[in-house]
Amino acid sequence: MDDPDASALVKAALQHDDEAARELVRQLYPLVAKLVRAYRFRRTSEEDLTQMIFIKVFQKLSQFSGKVPLEHWVSRIAVNTCLNQIESEKVRPELRQADLSEEEQAVVENLAVSSEELAPDKRFASRQLVEHLLAALKPAERLVIDLLYLQGRSVAEIKKMTGWSEPLVKIRAFRARHKMKQQLAKISSKEQL
Amino acid sequence: MSDSDDKIERLLRSAALAGEDIPAAPPFGFETRLVALWRSGPGKPNGMANLLRRVALLSAAVTLITAVAAFREVRQSREIGESFSNEFAIADSAIQSEFGR
Repeated sequence: MDDPDASALVKAALQHDDEAARELVRQLYPLVAKLVRAYRFRRTSEEDLTQMIFIKVFQKLSQFSGKVPLEHWVSRIAVNTCLNQIESEKVRPELRQADLSEEEQAVVENLAVSSEELAPDKRFASRQLVEHLLAALKPAERLVIDLLYLQGRSVAEIKKMTGWSEPLVKIRAFRARHKMKQQLAKISSKEQL
Repeated sequence: MSDSDDKIERLLRSAALAGEDIPAAPPFGFETRLVALWRSGPGKPNGMANLLRRVALLSAAVTLITAVAAFREVRQSREIGESFSNEFAIADSAIQSEFGR
């Protein structure tokens, strides 16, 4: 979304132009939906949460100064709303061998025996395996892994989206990766038994 | 790069290529519902909400005043009771000294 476009839409929405407000929702929806998905909520419906975020965005719309891109401003509201909401979902199940499908177990085996890139037909299973590994992480760690590795965003970009400092983004990513490696190693060792 | 680093890197790269089924557009009617909610939301409280808020404030004030008044009333009656008991004690000692003679 171009910034002049975004500013014009914001201005029009604030002046009771409902079509402009709806257009803002349509343009920002993929961004907010991706961020909500990045947290992997177990109990809260993603659509309810997306709606909650947009309501907050609109309630605070008059505070948008235009000094930062609208997408970054909305991202921060989304990140904070998700973090507050996910507080009630603190239980983090540890990944067990039995939780993995046959395809996922094949991916674990493949990673152990070969140093080559995973074959294209293993992508879906590897995604499922990553989802399982992410479920055992803290919400902020889940978000950082999703943004950094699955969405391919840079540290600088994540900093702008979340409001976290660059060292904090790196530390969270490092810790999250470390936990994922430990989980994967644990599963791999059981796999080889 | 260690072996475990390499494994997780390859796994994440493969997972990233799988893509996600995130819809590019909101569900049907989502934006209309949202804008309607915003326009009628708590940013502009309606008459009923204002009335309820005022009634709640007034009730709290009345409760506070009643509590203070009740407290003062209790203190006053206790003081009166104490003065009565003093008078009785004086009368008792006067009677005893009279009979003692």
